[in-house]
Amino acid sequence: MSTYVYGIARGTLPDLGDTLLGIGDPPLPVRALNEGELAAIVSDCPPELKPRRRDLLAHQHVLTEVSDKRSVLPMRFGSVSASDEDVRTVLTRHADRYEDQLQRLADRVEYNVKAVHDEDAVLHQVLSEEPELRLMAEANRAAGGGTYEERMRFGELVANAVRAREVRDARIVEEALAPATEAARPGPEGGGWFLSLSMLLPKDGAEPLLEAVAGLENTHPWMKLRVNGPLPPYSFVES
Amino acid sequence: MTTVVPAQQSRGGGGTSGLYDVLELILDRGLVIDAFIRVSLVGIEILKIDIRVVVASVDTYLRFAEACNRLDLESGPNKSPGIPEILDGATEGAARSKTKGALSGAGETVSKAAQSVAEAIRGDEEPEPEEAPARTRSRRPAARKSASGSRKSEES
Repeated sequence: MSTYVYGIARGTLPDLGDTLLGIGDPPLPVRALNEGELAAIVSDCPPELKPRRRDLLAHQHVLTEVSDKRSVLPMRFGSVSASDEDVRTVLTRHADRYEDQLQRLADRVEYNVKAVHDEDAVLHQVLSEEPELRLMAEANRAAGGGTYEERMRFGELVANAVRAREVRDARIVEEALAPATEAARPGPEGGGWFLSLSMLLPKDGAEPLLEAVAGLENTHPWMKLRVNGPLPPYSFVES
Repeated sequence: MTTVVPAQQSRGGGGTSGLYDVLELILDRGLVIDAFIRVSLVGIEILKIDIRVVVASVDTYLRFAEACNRLDLESGPNKSPGIPEILDGATEGAARSKTKGALSGAGETVSKAAQSVAEAIRGDEEPEPEEAPARTRSRRPAARKSASGSRKSEES
């Protein structure tokens, strides 16, 4: 039976089985593999593991529960070892590296901020600020929408102008939030947002960040900011 | 509106709304150990293809053109002197009523991409109706269409 690994924590952990359920259907009990100063949080790995929503939630849930009481290095979803013994070997071999990271991330949490534009407001902004585009819009409208080529050309210019504002606003958000965080890293590219930024904060130290976010939304009403946290420090572990 | 989604989520439906926003962190960040194998994320690749198609495509250009065409320019701060008054009156009502549709259409395309991610992570044998929000259920057919369309465009 292979072993699914959720994260690495410091200190010995008691058996978690009764209280904490992990991936799988039905959910598999979570246990700790203690090795020296470290403990790996693991469960058996179900056959045919895939990135299902239920299992993603379970991975997140286990890490959240454990990191509530102690510092944890979260594994990326889907990390599987051939056996418990192999996990212990890894813990022993890289003990120094993991202990250093656990110390660095002690009492730290990740917050992720995603920024999106209100499309209506941004298109209005583009046509207000760029006279050439406004003239094209008016000409197209007067011509009943314009030809296919005219609409394509115009739409591409608008898309570029929107993109330029995304770049501009991403920088504004980064600069406004930086003073409220200890470290920041760009999130992976994804869908629907023009900025994803992960930030490292002290546990219970999110107030300055939330105030900065609220301030930004007041002064830049065409932006919407979504804050997720506290999270295990996914973006701040070094593989 | 600022929303803080607490990570301390139950495993029921309450956690689902926050999952999409942290999905890419769970899948793309976190500690990787060479000695371990990683589960295949085949379905997840659909996500990135979809996003690219949404951002730079003929559809996007035409949609933007359409949206601008119907946008109520006169409500903005820089009212253009170029449009005759009579045209304002004739188009304003229609423009206002149609703009919403065009723009929500734009948002919907992004939602479709997002939904196809949800499809991808859900897996084939994963109905779980009790966990899915109603919004997701009603858009599932559209999401499938979007995902398969992207695969086609990848092949061509």
